[in-house]
Amino acid sequence: MPHTENWAPYVPDDKAPWDLRRVVHLHRRAGFAGTWDELQRDLRDGPGASIDRILAGKTSTHAPAEFAATADLLSTSALASGDINRLKAWWFYRMIFTPDPLGEKLTLMWHDHFATANSKVQDAALMWRQNDALRQHARGRFDAILNASLREPALLFYLDAQTNRKGRANENLARELMELFTLGVGNYSEADVKDAARALTGWTVEDGQFTKVLAQHDSGEKAILGQTGKWTAQNLIDMLLRHPATAQRIAVKLCRLFFGERAIDPEAVRDLGSDLREHDLDVGRTVEKILRSRLFFADANIATRVSGPAEFIAGTVRALGLFDPAPSTLALADWSARMGQDLFDPPNVGGWPSGRAWVHTRSLIARSNFATALMAGRDAGLPSPYNPASLPGSCGLGTGQADLLTFYHRLLFGTDPTESARSRLNGVSGSRLVAVLLSSPEGQLG
Amino acid sequence: MLTRRTFLQSSTLLALTPTVPLFLARSAKAAADKNGRVLVVVQLDGGNDALNTAVPIGNPAYEKLRPRLRIEKKDLVKLSDTVGLHPSLKPFDKLIEAGQLATMVGVGYPNPNRSHFESMAIWNTASLNPDAGDYGWIGRALDPKAATAYAIGNAAPRALRGRRTVAVTMNRLEDVTLSNPDALNGAVEATQAEDLQAFVRRQAVDARTTADRLTKLAATEGPAYPSTTLGEHLKLTARLLKADLGARVFYTQQGGFDTHASQRFVHTNLLNEFSRAVSAFFEDLQSAKLAERVTLLAFSEFGRTIRENDSAGTDHGTAGVSFLVGPAVRGGVHGTMPSLTDLAAGEPKMTTDFRRIYASVLTNWLDLPAADVLKGTFEPLQLFRS
Repeated sequence: MPHTENWAPYVPDDKAPWDLRRVVHLHRRAGFAGTWDELQRDLRDGPGASIDRILAGKTSTHAPAEFAATADLLSTSALASGDINRLKAWWFYRMIFTPDPLGEKLTLMWHDHFATANSKVQDAALMWRQNDALRQHARGRFDAILNASLREPALLFYLDAQTNRKGRANENLARELMELFTLGVGNYSEADVKDAARALTGWTVEDGQFTKVLAQHDSGEKAILGQTGKWTAQNLIDMLLRHPATAQRIAVKLCRLFFGERAIDPEAVRDLGSDLREHDLDVGRTVEKILRSRLFFADANIATRVSGPAEFIAGTVRALGLFDPAPSTLALADWSARMGQDLFDPPNVGGWPSGRAWVHTRSLIARSNFATALMAGRDAGLPSPYNPASLPGSCGLGTGQADLLTFYHRLLFGTDPTESARSRLNGVSGSRLVAVLLSSPEGQLG
Repeated sequence: MLTRRTFLQSSTLLALTPTVPLFLARSAKAAADKNGRVLVVVQLDGGNDALNTAVPIGNPAYEKLRPRLRIEKKDLVKLSDTVGLHPSLKPFDKLIEAGQLATMVGVGYPNPNRSHFESMAIWNTASLNPDAGDYGWIGRALDPKAATAYAIGNAAPRALRGRRTVAVTMNRLEDVTLSNPDALNGAVEATQAEDLQAFVRRQAVDARTTADRLTKLAATEGPAYPSTTLGEHLKLTARLLKADLGARVFYTQQGGFDTHASQRFVHTNLLNEFSRAVSAFFEDLQSAKLAERVTLLAFSEFGRTIRENDSAGTDHGTAGVSFLVGPAVRGGVHGTMPSLTDLAAGEPKMTTDFRRIYASVLTNWLDLPAADVLKGTFEPLQLFRS
C-alpha cells in the first residue's frame, strides 16, 4: 500500500556505499557497460549526477561528434543495399558509439516486446522504420509507443493485419495485441479476441504504408472486455491502454530489464504498475524512478541478471575501450546471432526467451569463442590482437599479471578478485586472462 | 536432482515470471521428453520423381510412360513383388534388411497443387489452404512446451515456425566447439553459491564438457559420411545429438529435385547423395548407441509427371513418395501404388493423405497430440513397431 516506501530513493550509506561495484552495475543495467574513464568519473561525481547524465543521454565519453551523421549514413547505405545484416551492424554501431546507451537499451527492450521478425517481413526498410519509431518513443508514454507500433507496416505485416477483413477475420494481430503487447494471459477471453479481431479489420498496410480501409472494416457491434459498442481499432487500443493489467505488464517488462533474478518482490512490481497507471503510463518517468531507487542499488540486484547477447557484446567492446579501431559490427551482429539473439529476427512474436534461457551450452560456447576472437583480433575484424596492457598502462596503472587481474576484475565487475580467484588464475596471463574473465560465469551476469 | 535438460525446460518458466510456483516447475520436469525421442526431417526440395524412386514392377504402363527414363527391373532394389527402389538407393540395403526403412507410396492431398511454393507450404503447415500467417506443423506441435528445434542449413523452414517454438539455425560445428578450451574453464569459484551464479556455473561446466566431447568426436574416425551437403548436415546433426543438447526436432533440406530436363543423371546423383548420407547417419548413430531414439522422415512437395517430357525430364506432378527410417520403424511398403491409368487431370490420384504420416509421427513417435496440430483427425499409418 505505501508504495513510496518500496521505491524510496537510493542514498549512499555504509550498507550500500557508492563504490565502483555500484557504478559498474549502473552502467551495465542502464547501458552497455562503462569504460574505465566513465566509471571513474561517475565514482567521483556520485549517483545523482551520474544518473542525470544517463537520463539526459549524455553519458558516453566516446561518442564521436558526428555520431548522428555517421549512424544515418550507415543506415542509409544499409537500406540502399536492402541487406538486413548491414542494418544489424548499424544497430551495433549505435549501441557502442551512442551518447545515449539507455535509449538504445530501451529500444532493444521494445524490439523484444513488439517482436517482429525480418525472416517473415523480408524488408530491411520496414524493419528500420519500426526500429526508428521504437527509438523515438522509447522513453515516452506507453500510449504513444503502442499507437506508433501498431501503425508500423513491419508489425502489421508480421501479424497478418492485411488478411484480417470483414467477414474473414484473422485473429493473429488481435491475440498478440492482447496477450503480449498489453493485457497478458488471463485478462481476456477467446470471445474478446474474436471481437477484437473484428475491431481491427481494415487496419492494414497498402503500398508499404499503414492505411485504414473502411470497406474492409467490420463496423458491427462488438463485445470486448465487458463493453459493447461498434468499436473501431482505435477504440480497442484505448480500451487496452486504460486496463490496469496493461500498466502491470509494462511494469513487469521494465523490472525485467532493470532487475535481476529475485531482486525485486511482486509487491514492489505491483506498486510500480499502479504508479505507472497514475501517471499516464509514462515510461521515461518510471525508468527514472527505478534508476534512482534504493531497490535498484540493493545488493540483491547486483550481478544477478544474465546479460543478453547484444548487451554482452556491446558491453564487452565498450568496457575494453575498442572504439578506434572498433571491431567489425557485421561480425558482432553475427556473434550475437550465434549467442541466440539475431537482431531484427526474434524467434517468434513472444520475443527472445531471456534470463536463464540465455545460458546454455551453445550460447556459452559462443560467448567464450567471441572473447577468444576479440583477443585474437582476426575473427572480430580487428587489425591486431588485443594488448591487455595498453588500457591500464594508459591510466598509469601497473601491467604485471597481478595488476592486470586487478584492473580487469575492477573494470568488468567493479570488485577486486578474491584470494582464491588469484591463486586459481595464477598461471593465466596476458590476453588469455582477459578472455577467461569475459567467459567466466561471473562475466555473464551484469 | 534436476538434469540439465529438465532444468533448461523449467528455466523457460523461470525466465517468464519473477517467482514460479513450485508445482509449475515440477510439471515442466514431468513433461520432459519421454525417452528423449528425436525426429529428423529431410525435406527434398523441387519435387522428387516418385515414379522413378519407388518403381512399379510388372506394370506395362510404366515402360510406355518412360521410354527413355525408365529403370530396368533387374537394376531395382526390390522391396516387394510390385515395388522396387531406384538403384541409387542401394546403400539402404542394410536398413531394408533390418526392416528399418518404410516407403510410403502415393502420398499427397486432395486437389493437388503443382506450384513448388504452394505445395511446400501445404506440407509445411499441414493445411490445405495455408494463410500467409499459418504456423508450421512442427512449430505448432512444439508450441505448448516452447521447445527448440534445430534447422541444419541456412534458414529455418516454415514447418518449424510456431507461436512460441524457437527454431535455431545452425550449419557450423564451430558453433558448438571451443576455439580456446581454456577460456571457459577459468574463474569458476566456489562462491557464496548464489542460485543464479550456481546455475551459470553448472551450465559452463556442461558447455565445456560438451564442447570437449564434440571436439574429440570430430577428431576421431567415425563412420565416413559422403562429403555432400546433405552428408555434412546429417553429420552435424549426429554430432548435435551426441552432444545431447535436448532438442527433439532437427530439420534439413536437400535441393535440386526439380528435374525438368536430362533427369537420369541428376536424379541418380540426388538419390545417391540422399541414401549414402542417411545410411551413414544411422550407422553413426548405431555406433554411438543413439539410433533407437531417432526416426528420420524424408518427403518432397509432390511427385513428377508420369509421362516424361521431350527434354528427357519430367514436370511437376502429384502423388509422391516419402520415407521413414530408423530402428523404431515398421519397414516395408506402406500404402497403395497409385494407378498409372486411372488419372485425374493426367496425373495419378493420391492413395495416402500426407497428414496420416504426420499423425503417425506425432502420435506414435513424439507422443504429441495430433488433432490439435493437424486441425483435424487423420488416422495414423502404422509406421512404427509397437
